[in-house]
Amino acid sequence: MATPRHTDDGLTARRWLAGLIAQERRLVGLAVACGLLAGVLTFAQLGLLAWLVATLLAPEASAPSALWPAFAGLLAVLPLRALAQWGQEAAGLEASLRVRRRARAELLDHLARLGPVWLAGRHSASLANQLVEQVEALEGYVARFQPQLTLALLLPLACLGIVVWLDWLAALFLLLAAPFIPLFMALVGMGAERLNRDQFAAVARLSGHFIDRVRGITTLQLFGRTRQATSEVHVAADDYRRRSMRTLRLAFLSSAVLEFFASIAIAVLAIYVGFGLLGYITYGPSPALTLFSGLYVLLLAPEFFQPLRALSQHYHDRAAALGAAEGLVALLNETPTAGRGADAGPGSPPAPGMLVSLREATVAHAGRGQVLGPLDLDVVKGEVLVVTGPSGTGKSTLLQLLAGFVGPDSGTCHRAAELSFAWLDQRPLLVHGSLADNLRLASPEADDAMLVRSLAKAGLGELFEALPEGLATPLGERGVGLSGGQAQRLALARIFLSDAPLVLLDEPTASLDTASGANVIEALERLAEEGRALVIATHHPALMAMAHRRLSLEPQTGRAAAYATPRGEHG
Amino acid sequence: MAEASRKGTREVGLIASLAPWLMLLARRRRRLLAGAALMALTVLSALGLLAVSGWFITASAVTGLALAAGVAATLDVYVPGGAIRLFAVTRTVSRYVERLYNHDTILRLLADLRVRMFATLARLDDHALSQRRASEWLNRLTADIDVLDALFLRLLAPPVVALLAIIATSVLLGVWLPSAGWLVLVVTGVALGWFTVGQARLGMAASRRQVAQLDALRGGVIEQLQGLAELEAYGTLAGHRATLERLESRIQCDQRRLGRQAALGNALVGAVIGVLLAGVLWLGARAHAADLLSGPLMVMMPVAVLALNEALAVLPAAFTRVGASRAAAERLNDLEDQSPRQGARSEALRQPPPGALAVSLERVSLCYPGSLEPVLRQVSFRLAAGRRLAVCGASGAGKSSVAALLAGRLSPTDGRVQVGGVAPRDLEPEVLAERVALLTQRVDLFDASLADNLRLADPQASDAQLWRSLEAVALADWADALPAGLATRVGEGGRQLSGGQARRLALARLMLRDPDLVLLDEPFAGLDADTAQRVASSLDRWLEGRTVLFFVHALRDGPFDPPGVTDMVTLDDGELCNRSDYFRMG
Repeated sequence: MATPRHTDDGLTARRWLAGLIAQERRLVGLAVACGLLAGVLTFAQLGLLAWLVATLLAPEASAPSALWPAFAGLLAVLPLRALAQWGQEAAGLEASLRVRRRARAELLDHLARLGPVWLAGRHSASLANQLVEQVEALEGYVARFQPQLTLALLLPLACLGIVVWLDWLAALFLLLAAPFIPLFMALVGMGAERLNRDQFAAVARLSGHFIDRVRGITTLQLFGRTRQATSEVHVAADDYRRRSMRTLRLAFLSSAVLEFFASIAIAVLAIYVGFGLLGYITYGPSPALTLFSGLYVLLLAPEFFQPLRALSQHYHDRAAALGAAEGLVALLNETPTAGRGADAGPGSPPAPGMLVSLREATVAHAGRGQVLGPLDLDVVKGEVLVVTGPSGTGKSTLLQLLAGFVGPDSGTCHRAAELSFAWLDQRPLLVHGSLADNLRLASPEADDAMLVRSLAKAGLGELFEALPEGLATPLGERGVGLSGGQAQRLALARIFLSDAPLVLLDEPTASLDTASGANVIEALERLAEEGRALVIATHHPALMAMAHRRLSLEPQTGRAAAYATPRGEHG
Repeated sequence: MAEASRKGTREVGLIASLAPWLMLLARRRRRLLAGAALMALTVLSALGLLAVSGWFITASAVTGLALAAGVAATLDVYVPGGAIRLFAVTRTVSRYVERLYNHDTILRLLADLRVRMFATLARLDDHALSQRRASEWLNRLTADIDVLDALFLRLLAPPVVALLAIIATSVLLGVWLPSAGWLVLVVTGVALGWFTVGQARLGMAASRRQVAQLDALRGGVIEQLQGLAELEAYGTLAGHRATLERLESRIQCDQRRLGRQAALGNALVGAVIGVLLAGVLWLGARAHAADLLSGPLMVMMPVAVLALNEALAVLPAAFTRVGASRAAAERLNDLEDQSPRQGARSEALRQPPPGALAVSLERVSLCYPGSLEPVLRQVSFRLAAGRRLAVCGASGAGKSSVAALLAGRLSPTDGRVQVGGVAPRDLEPEVLAERVALLTQRVDLFDASLADNLRLADPQASDAQLWRSLEAVALADWADALPAGLATRVGEGGRQLSGGQARRLALARLMLRDPDLVLLDEPFAGLDADTAQRVASSLDRWLEGRTVLFFVHALRDGPFDPPGVTDMVTLDDGELCNRSDYFRMG
């Protein structure tokens, strides 16, 4: 099911963005067409203006009222041009909305493939920030920069065409200024891009730094360290400012360079046209300059640079998008561990009656060496297998291996076909939503009666009775409003709702008192009677008493020391 | 009437929401004025460049025609030529300097704001903290404050600069042709109203929702990433994804609406300038025909109008999204309102006596806001200095609330809590932190190294001290075997450690301190029997000479009994049910 991506044909940010945009080619094309139309209408408006002025100032001037059709034309252009401008923005926006939706879906798919163990080593707030803010950062690049890239080529060419027709020497002035612009923009853009990438890293670090401290703010208060933490926040924020300023200094420089050339070109043109009209210049086409051609050239000059100016204003959109895309592509280039989510290693699927079979399986964590195995284990239908051992000996890793969250680094791990399982770890998931929403995570179709029954089985019956809003009671992130024990039992209620034949439990009674612990154990026994297999990592004596078999893991090596204890022979 | 005033108290206006932040901006008013002046200089240079160029070319043409006709005519080409060059350079330089200067101002302000917000958070107590989601806070510090930078750069300065440009253009035109001046003033005045107030109203609702919606999406993504194990197990990942997609399409629907509204405003700017261009030219042409206006001035007027485009073009997009700034300000205001006002402390601060602290609760009741029942009902007990009390009870019986009251993290709804004869809430936070130590049920570890996490308790602690504290919780061998040793990073919230390891690390951190009252909430949860016994004996030594409260499910529950308990009380559903001296056997 998981198709691991090989790093050697790894995606680059540019290729990924180009692929996303290629799928919205038609909308981007529409934006370009609208922009082109708006530009041409602007040229027409300015032409009419110059013609009107020349006609009005001609020696045998006609009365303004006689020129009403031209004035009407000047007004008629406006609604058309407004419509074209609106169309350009709307089409670009639509393209960018679609690109962002697709990018986010691709990333979420990929993170799901990478799995819970990979995610446990990451800052989920930073990742969420990437999926929300950095995907949003693609907006301007698709909506504005891409259409403008084409327009910045076509519109100045069209403009230049008109100027050549009016006065080729004036066109030459424009052309002389033009080549410097892409050159400077390329130089400046390269620097800005790198800085922008750094800035994204800084933003991610800043949010990671902050959420970490906010999560632990109780501890900071208890240790009297809030003042120090506040000054650390200042250092982080100030670092962000300095990074931003470095980016901006260059980003603004690119538009300043462009404006400088544009202003100089316009000023030179104005002086050239003025002197030409005065008859001071006798070279080339200058003596043929008229008020119409001179004024039209002057009015067109800013329009020659306008699309390039707009492009340079959107240049930071490009840099922002590329910076964001690099981070996102780095995620997309992460590969799931071999065997994750699938049968791993040679050999055949487990015999009938077996749910999972491990043969000589080992698991290693980066920087921590081998944490489990080599281990042989068969999980049989309907059995209760208790895993014990001092903390840190790989009990959780064994459960992750059985769940398929990690693959074995050596040896094999085979699961029965279509095996579904239920999972409970020490940090149960609580989503922002109602009690019912939290329960239906396990079984979306379950009706209210089933939800209530599952709560009772998990020992939450009394609490439920006391809730005036019942199943609609809102719950918060990380179970705010519920005690640790209650959150654990809510997660247990989910297990009762699901019909998974295999239940993997990591310290299910760690935070329960004796009474509710006994309730849970009773319920777990019911689960076992239903024919479900339970694999429980625990130190709890009463849970150990439930075991059909017991697996004891040795410190440091994660090797099985004692194995297969018949029921009742517990210590 | 009553209805309206009730609504008024709930719904704060745009200006009122932004007021505290405008005041904050006002503290930097000199920098802001300088920034606005630079902006105005840029726009006026553009106006001057176009107006002088238009005038100059027409004057040249007229003079040229006269010369061609053999009429003696002269034109001073140096002054207008110089002016054109000056305006061209000024415009470029002032724009660059303006943008850099203003962004630096804004980022300085942002750094201050972030610190202010974190300091606000640090003052919140458990009541306020428990109502918030961590991912929302993240957004508060970064996005909300970032949105507020729009205040000056996009919402305050540009309309002022646009107004200046409109007045300058109207005056320039009005001097030569009053009717043209009035036309520009009235049309652009009305347009300015639309581009600011009108566009703001158009986009208010959708842009006001944006921040909260993105926040909800971020929260949903965090949930999905943190809960992937369970979602994957139950095969309900697709269902959760569908929830995220619904959130996303709601966001996109608003973004589409806002984008189109802003595009409408942008298109209108071009149309308004176009209408003015035609109108001013028409008025100028008639005046010229009546010999009231020279040709060059007639051309200068519509060309000057073109320059207004630059001043107006930035407005619609910024004002369509004014709701985003409003929502951000409202959320930050909300948070600041929650931070407890430091009540005027009546007399000179009383210090509890040095050494181990006695503890007393007198008829203490506690209700969480919005909760169904009180967590504690009329709870009273006393504990002499240096003794060790076990507070027993099932989960949810109120043990953690007693711990929070004694640590000054909550105020009792009723009754009196005293530590060393003083209410914990009346102590300076620093004194409280120094003298009272609390091991909470949920362990907070920071995404830093083992050493950094330990040094939270004592920044000056030597490596040897750190190793000793790890030895005390039976983690030294484990840490020694790690390739990076004390520099090993523990991951977000300590996720790279097992539950038991995280718990022991938190204990080790606590034991680096020297408090007089120690509150231990489930100190041995998640430990195996052997480890619990090893930890208990070193904990026993460290607790010597301190007052201790252990919060546990029950005593005599195996090897997990806390060491040296002298007294015991039991909490049942928020009530104290018995009190007895407890002497540990053997």
